Amino acid sequence: MAQRLKDRQIMFMLSVGLLAWLMPGGGHLLLNKKKHALVILIAIVLTFLIGIYIGSIGVINPIEAKPWYVAQILNSPAVAILGHLSSTGAYPVYARPNEIGQIYTSIAGLLNLLCIVNAVYLAHLGRIQTTRN
Amino acid sequence: MATILLLLLGTFTTPEKIGTTPQSMLWLFPLAASIAVVYKATKVPKITLSFLKETVVLFGSIIIFIGVAALVLYTLAWVIIG
Repeated sequence: MAQRLKDRQIMFMLSVGLLAWLMPGGGHLLLNKKKHALVILIAIVLTFLIGIYIGSIGVINPIEAKPWYVAQILNSPAVAILGHLSSTGAYPVYARPNEIGQIYTSIAGLLNLLCIVNAVYLAHLGRIQTTRN
Repeated sequence: MATILLLLLGTFTTPEKIGTTPQSMLWLFPLAASIAVVYKATKVPKITLSFLKETVVLFGSIIIFIGVAALVLYTLAWVIIG
């Protein structure tokens, strides 16, 4: 019984983490923190959109800018679609727009990582409270 | 409607013209604001008016720290290069 409960709680934490990655703020939404989820969603999506507005989708380059791409993919798995589109080389971007675009999109990804970790931690705290009760 | 949507999507396929000028540094403001908002959203237990206050304070702190760092680096460069 206790093992089943533990397994279920671990599955819940994994779901929170996965949903937080699929959609910024999704983890907090699953934890019923709707206002937090909305603030996170708006802030991260807006930062990412500013990044690709400045530098175009060419700033997401899985071939020539791999370290940046690792941070960018943390926004959502949907970024892989943009990466696939730009990997053809049809959207060239250089100099300052490239730098600013990469910084914006990567920081948006790293902020989402912070939110994923925070959501999983909150789910873990909830698990401890459930176990104590 | 479809034309507007296509035009909107088109803006994401060509980069903006931003030169290597001091004005391009102003792009740090929206980024600092975003960092402050998301960081505070993960810290506060409830989103109330205090969240807004704390976010503004954090945003101000980031900007002041960057300003001080820029000033120190500029002074250092001025002392070394002359």
